[in-house]
Parts: sequence; structure tokens; C-alpha cells
Amino acid sequence: MAGSGRDERAWVRRAQAGSASDFEALFRAHWGPAYRAAYLVVRDAAAAEDIAQEGFLAAIRALDRFDRRRPFGPWLHRIVVNRAIDWARARALRPEAEQVDAPAPERAERDEELLAELGRLSPEHRAVIVLRYLLEYTPGEIAELLELPRGTVNSRLRRGLDTLKERL
Amino acid sequence: MRFRAPGEQEAQERAWAVVRRAYEEREPVAWPRRHVRPLAAAALVAVVAAAALSPPGRSVVHSLRKAVGVEQAEPALFSLPTHGDLLVTSRKGLWLVHRDGSKRLLGRYRDATFSPHGLFVAATRVNQLVALDTKGNVRWTLARPAPSRPVWSGTRTDTRITYLSRGQLRMVAGDGTGDHAIARRRAAVPDTAAIRRRGGQSEVLDRGRVVFRGTGSFEQAVRSPDGRWLLVTWPTADQWVFVRPGTPRRIVGASRISVQFGGFPRVQGWCCAR
Repeated sequence: MAGSGRDERAWVRRAQAGSASDFEALFRAHWGPAYRAAYLVVRDAAAAEDIAQEGFLAAIRALDRFDRRRPFGPWLHRIVVNRAIDWARARALRPEAEQVDAPAPERAERDEELLAELGRLSPEHRAVIVLRYLLEYTPGEIAELLELPRGTVNSRLRRGLDTLKERL
Repeated sequence: MRFRAPGEQEAQERAWAVVRRAYEEREPVAWPRRHVRPLAAAALVAVVAAAALSPPGRSVVHSLRKAVGVEQAEPALFSLPTHGDLLVTSRKGLWLVHRDGSKRLLGRYRDATFSPHGLFVAATRVNQLVALDTKGNVRWTLARPAPSRPVWSGTRTDTRITYLSRGQLRMVAGDGTGDHAIARRRAAVPDTAAIRRRGGQSEVLDRGRVVFRGTGSFEQAVRSPDGRWLLVTWPTADQWVFVRPGTPRRIVGASRISVQFGGFPRVQGWCCAR
């Protein structure tokens, strides 16, 4: 789980000053949501790992410039989800290379079905649904994260959910 | 949604090993006042650039790259090891590289693709898809918003270019007519092998076997038109490494790639075994 806003600001401040343990706290708090979001968009565990890892490497490169008044999570998720969309689009152009990870065996059947159907949506629709329902951003925040008009986010959410509802 | 992605914990530990190393290697900058940052950052860049450009600085950078790259690499790209021309993009634009090592700057383009027989090239500008011959003469242009990732496929008589424009997948005939939106792309992108990162190293896998390994990051591993060679692009070492995975394995390196292309280039295609 991500820490409170105060914890997070403190981790960022001390990580900027060179504290590896605070940077690790930041990493551990945000790895799960970032990796899951990437996975749900790309549906490939190896790619999700690369994308989430790249997100953190980008965070390190920009750490000294990072504005501590702003929350770290949305900034990281913006990088990760945008990269995941790019990756998913590129893979859609190479259908011969398509490979979907087998779902974890302990997952409930209904969840598997939902995840499989989510994987059939376009990367753009997948991304807004993941941001809204997994990472729990508001449509306004998603619009800001993905640099989209609010109306586009709402319509993608609506269409994505309608499609899922029809298929399930 | 209560959801855990497959291999989440293992992925976290692998990623942490890489991310921790990157964090440890960074040099934290403590700036006392926020408004001082731009000036200080500019000064730092200038100092680093000056250091890198000074003879001792150049020597250090060169030594580092040499320590990372393949030994006995050629000091420049003198030739390609097999048939075909390479299409690459760098900060300077789009380059066509011939087998004898000669190269031509085709212009300021972003992404590009060869036509199926390598006679023409489709390339993108900010708001244009452009078809060129291999000398850089423009054959036709199509104005579309932010085109990217063109792929030219088909036969000698019937070709088509698929590309992305503002997230929409579109297709146009090889003569620049009949542009329309489509649902799915059928053409193939350059044939690539897999690259895997492990700790601070990268590996190239060909048919599941590691055929080349090095320090830092490999960017691409692109297969030659005859399928016998892989071109591994290695920004960390500023090298291109041609690997022939068969037996006996052969490795041919070329150094100082950035200088030759005005920035480290990205391979857009390798065509054709004429």
C-alpha cells in the first residue's frame, strides 16, 4: 500500500537527499499498483515488469527535479500507463507475436473472465478502466494524467464498461 | 478490484535490484533555493559538456565505452556484414546505409519503413506521411496528424502502407491513394530477436538461446534480410554489434556510432537480399 501523503513527501525528500532506505520505501509502496496497471494494459508479465521498472528508472532520473508538493503516485502512473499503451499499440501491429500470460491458477473464474475481456479492449480503453477501477483515479485526474479531454475519458470509460457488460 | 498480477513479488525483487543500482549510481544534487535550479543545472550541464569535450574528458568517456563494448571493434562502421541496406533514424534525420558502409541522409524524418523490395521508403514528418525513393526524392506526400510507425507491405504490383495517426490505425495504397482507417494491421515490423535485461547486463536471445551478452542496455536486435545476422544496437558502448548466431559464431563490432549519425540511431528496417 502507498503511504500517507505526509509519509510519501518525507520519502521523496529524503530520497532526493540520498537516503536509499527512503527510496526503497517509495519503490515498495508503488511497485504493486504500477506493475498491476501495466500488466492489465499490456497483458504480458515480462513487458509489464520492464515498463514498471522503466517508470522507476525515469523517476530516478527526474528525482532531483521532482516537485515534492505534488504526489508521487500519479506522476509515476502517468509514465507507466502511457508506456504501456504505446507497448500495447505496438504489439497490436504485430499480431503474429501476440502472447498472453496464463492467469494465476488461484484466481477466481469470474475474475479470469473479466481480465480476459479487459484484454480484448483497445489499449486506450483498457488504460482508463485500469486507472479508474484499479488505481481509483477520478475521471478528472485520468484526463490530467493522460492529457486527454475530460469528455474523452468519460466516453472511453462508458464504452469500455458497456463492452465489458455486453461480453460478460 | 482485488487483483494481483502474475509473478508480482518476483518481478518486484528483480526490478528492485536494477532500480536500487540505478539509484546508488545517481549523484544527488542538493539545491538550497528552488529558483537557483535552472541556472545551476545549466552550469552543471555546461561543465559536464565541457569536461566531456575536453581532451581528458573525451578520453574518459572513450575509455568507459571501450571498457563496455566488444573488443577489437572497428573504429567506425566501414561495411555491413551481409546483403541489404539499413534504414536508421537519428537526431539528424533519416539515413540509408549501404552494404559498403556509405550512407545518405534522406532528410528530417522520424519513423520510416522500406517498401517490400527496398526500392522506396515511407517516412513520417510532424504532420505528413511521405514516400521517397532511395535517393531522397519525394514521390508523394499525405497530410495526416502526427503519423507514426509506418509499415509497407504487399507485392511488387500491389502494396500498402499502414500507419498510426493520433491513435487511429490507417492504410494507404503504395501510390498514396485510398487512405482510410482500418481495424487491424497485417504487415510485419522489422524482424527482431528478444532482448532481456538481467541486473546491469543485457542479453540477446535467438530461438531461446543467449547469443550475445554485454554491460548496460541494448536497444534493438534486428535480423538481417537473409536471416543469418543480428544487428545489436548498444548505446551504452556507442556500438553496433553484428552477431552471426550460427556455428561458428561471429561477432563484428563498429564503434563511435553516434558521431557518424549525429546521435545514436534507431534502426527502422534492413532490406533487402538483392
